[in-house]
Amino acid sequence: MSPSSPLRELVQGRKVVALVGSGGVGKTTSAAALGLRLAVDGQKVLVLTIDPARRLANSLGLDALGNKETRIDLSPLRARGIEAKGELSAMMLDLKTAWDELVRKDSRTPEQAEAILKNRLYQTVSTVLAGSLEYMAMEQVQRISASGRYDVVVLDTPPTANALDFLGAPDRLMDMLDNDAMRFVLGPMLKAGKFGLKLFALPSSIVLKTLARFTGADFLRDVADFFVAFEGMYDGFKARAAQVKALLSSPQSAFVLVTSPSSLTIDEALFFHRALSDARIATAAVIVNRMQRDPRAQGGAESQPALIEALGRAQIADAPSDASIAAQQSVLSASGQAAAGELLSARLARTLGEQAALADVDQREVQRLAAQIPSVPLYVAPRMRRDIHDLLGLWQIHESLGTL
Amino acid sequence: MSEGETPQPSLHTDLLSRRLLVVTGKGGTGKSTIAAALALAAAQRGKKVLVCEVSARERVSELFGKPPSGTQIGQLAKNIYSVHVQPAEAMREYGIMTLRSETLYNLVFERKVVRYFLRAAPSLAEIVMLGKIAWHAEKDMDRGHRRWDLVILDAPATGHALALLTVPRVILSLVSEGPLATDMNWIESLLQDPKRTQVLVTALPEEMPVNEAIELRAALVKEKLPLGPLVLNSVFAPRFTDIERTAVARGGPMLAAAADAADGHEARAQMSVQYAQVLRDAGVGRDPASPLVPVSHVFERQFGVAALEQIARSLSGAL
Repeated sequence: MSPSSPLRELVQGRKVVALVGSGGVGKTTSAAALGLRLAVDGQKVLVLTIDPARRLANSLGLDALGNKETRIDLSPLRARGIEAKGELSAMMLDLKTAWDELVRKDSRTPEQAEAILKNRLYQTVSTVLAGSLEYMAMEQVQRISASGRYDVVVLDTPPTANALDFLGAPDRLMDMLDNDAMRFVLGPMLKAGKFGLKLFALPSSIVLKTLARFTGADFLRDVADFFVAFEGMYDGFKARAAQVKALLSSPQSAFVLVTSPSSLTIDEALFFHRALSDARIATAAVIVNRMQRDPRAQGGAESQPALIEALGRAQIADAPSDASIAAQQSVLSASGQAAAGELLSARLARTLGEQAALADVDQREVQRLAAQIPSVPLYVAPRMRRDIHDLLGLWQIHESLGTL
Repeated sequence: MSEGETPQPSLHTDLLSRRLLVVTGKGGTGKSTIAAALALAAAQRGKKVLVCEVSARERVSELFGKPPSGTQIGQLAKNIYSVHVQPAEAMREYGIMTLRSETLYNLVFERKVVRYFLRAAPSLAEIVMLGKIAWHAEKDMDRGHRRWDLVILDAPATGHALALLTVPRVILSLVSEGPLATDMNWIESLLQDPKRTQVLVTALPEEMPVNEAIELRAALVKEKLPLGPLVLNSVFAPRFTDIERTAVARGGPMLAAAADAADGHEARAQMSVQYAQVLRDAGVGRDPASPLVPVSHVFERQFGVAALEQIARSLSGAL
């Protein structure tokens, strides 16, 4: 469906806008561009990124971002005559800090918090637990959204290959922290932990014995300690996970699918869309980033003979490529891209053919996407001809997009 | 090979004579494509290669135009095989191997409650997946010979790959004895041995993938994992001088499409040059074992084996 209204209107009034998609499709940049647009229009916006790779900081022109909400100075936009009516803040989720803060906040006593923070397993695995990142992202969205400090939170989700990973992760984490199987298997150890026994009774059940053959008893004891330490905190975790789920599946939230036009990422976008549908979440819009511009749309000569004629009329010498180009290529140590001495007309014809092929492939893929999800508004952003690393660059994204 | 580069003819054979090549990098930088092209390059030299895929969807089999292999090894081309390494199946194989008894495994591990426990226990998925991959690389024997000359791991993106590759260190900090510790020890020594293992990082000539590649390489060094080549994918080489482009841009409507195409090409070429330089400035290529390998953009309309062959040639030529 070709969009009848700008994306910013589509997400107007939503409290959470989650951008989902596979890695490397420009999710973070889209999140920053949309956040900026909403802030300029007058909303108080927080863009929350999960990625430790400084992508958001890069595109906002900052060196780094931390686990604190950071206000972005929008005054550079005045150079373009744009006065922001709202406010933009950004924050990068630091997983370890977020976990530590949550433990301190949710534990029943300071002693419990200390016990968890000192637990060896907690220290090594809290940041790598399956679903840990996703749970924390959800937790932060819920917390920030409930604080009322912002009109809207734009969430740059973790790059999972599978949308279900992202949506189901909090559940999986909750399952892990509070599951009956865990109690059953580790039962004897949990008791040992609870009574603070220094001497560890050997596992009595065959299950525990067999597991211990694998891992050694030490590891199982660490696991048991870990679960004992968290005792009593599950209800808080669960309640918040349920709230997050309710928020994300309510009309207060919008999911925007981000993709690039390559066939693999289009396949993944379709997969994401199905996963969202299965979870009864509507895809509010699709953004296709990095669409190749079709040079043929500019008109003029395309074949080498026609180019030779056009060059002649414009009195441009059809000269072989010059040595300075070969020198530039040395840093790439790439061979055979521009055969030495290739005529200008030949290079132009070849380049035109290549750029047209790129455009054709992108066009074909976007049409395939549109045909499969005809009811979802689709926004196409061209491939930028330079990197975005400041606010003006971000602003340019929707100027060129027109509809964002 | 361009001027100013020292030829290293032995490097290529060296790279492909490792036991295990791990390919990782930012999402969308072509990990699976490079893994597939490496497999092709090795197979063309007569090596029998197993590609291990660990992400939700198999991509390497798709690149060869074959149906997904699933958790059973499937053949993709002459001398090229692949397998989808999944936690549940890897757990089963690993469990039976360690306990040396399928009956005991079924008795204990196939119980619903234990399956649930295993699914939820921290790091277990990574342990068994890495265990299976390392086993194929080092211990998978067939009539006294290694079944595979080379195992290629199409690893997850940056953060998840680091979590997977550092599982032995994490576990060994928690467990000091028993079969798990023994396994983690030999797996860690395999992963850290530059003669047997190389970790290739992929990037695109863009700001964020390049930043991420530099940070990833620093993290790999810190974890004592041997750095292999950095593959800079989708490179465009400069083709036009500024004077030529200005002239064509002013050449009137008959040259409008050509001018636009040249601008589009040159924008990407300038980024290719700029980010290759950023990588070199960050020390990439200083160690001959870990060169910068640019791979030209492939303009195939259908991305398949022909494109892989082109990339395999590009890799072979540069290495």
